[in-house]
Amino acid sequence: MHEIRIAKDLFNIILAVAENAKLSKVTKVNITFGKMVQIVPEIFEFAFRETVRDSVANDAALDIEIAGIRLKCRNCGHDFQLDDNLFACRICNSYETDIIQGNELFIKSIEGE
Amino acid sequence: MEIKIMKNILDRNQDKAREVRELLLSKKVLMVNLISSPGAGKTTLLERTCSRFCDEMKIGVIEGDITTDRDAQRLKKYNIPIVVINTEGGCHLDSHSISKALDSFDLDNVNVLFVENVGNLICPSQFDLGENFKVAMVSTPEGDDKPGKYPMLFREARAVLLNKTDLIPYTNFDLDCFRLDLQHVNARIPLFEISCIKGDGLSEWYNWMGEQIRI
Repeated sequence: MHEIRIAKDLFNIILAVAENAKLSKVTKVNITFGKMVQIVPEIFEFAFRETVRDSVANDAALDIEIAGIRLKCRNCGHDFQLDDNLFACRICNSYETDIIQGNELFIKSIEGE
Repeated sequence: MEIKIMKNILDRNQDKAREVRELLLSKKVLMVNLISSPGAGKTTLLERTCSRFCDEMKIGVIEGDITTDRDAQRLKKYNIPIVVINTEGGCHLDSHSISKALDSFDLDNVNVLFVENVGNLICPSQFDLGENFKVAMVSTPEGDDKPGKYPMLFREARAVLLNKTDLIPYTNFDLDCFRLDLQHVNARIPLFEISCIKGDGLSEWYNWMGEQIRI
């Protein structure tokens, strides 16, 4: 359900940028979601369509890039992709790892005319 | 024409959370964001925790509920300031609603502020409220697989409470599986295995909370 709130916050950013750039129409919105934030793209698309209805972004295509989870080991510096739920380093087995990718809720750009 | 933006969609929430954090720091108030599924035992934990600490320190509570003030009613007996935020269907609290709720507290007379978030394991973990830290709570009837299924919360939290341990004999909950699952997601996190109803394990939780308050 957080998809609805995130769609609303995204819409507010789009509106402000479109107004500032004097766009009459937003044709595409490019965003990145990390896997950690557990957004369901289909639900997000639905929430987005409802949110932008009858606005400058009514017909905007939504390009959602999903970023996988990457961790970096604090102990040995190894940087790796997480494909399961084991947040330990694959090289030295340390659990002292930081998430360096996967938490994104990011708007990259909008396209319009 | 393409316009580069490159920003976090929840920046507005983050900015307000920063303001809340600065305000609480200036007033020396510790804010704890308590997150669990509905029915895991957040309010019972707060009843126990208020009962333990309300003579020693000034506690305040923000109750996030989709509707009703039932949780707040249960805490009234401790004679502490409580503000209810009804989200009217919203599945989480955000920093703006917390900021507004803080206006109703006399923050010079609060040492610890507990926020009981809306019952949900995914959405509340995305929204920084300006808290000092999050505490994740799960209960044994929910199953032993929650850390792996909701890794963001268990990575973000500073402590985990496993409630209703007294019910383990009546469920298929495997304590070793739960501990291992949590270790895989966040090996550093303190785990308190408790029963809010029976009182088991609560003294360790109180000691830990006492340390956080003193820090």
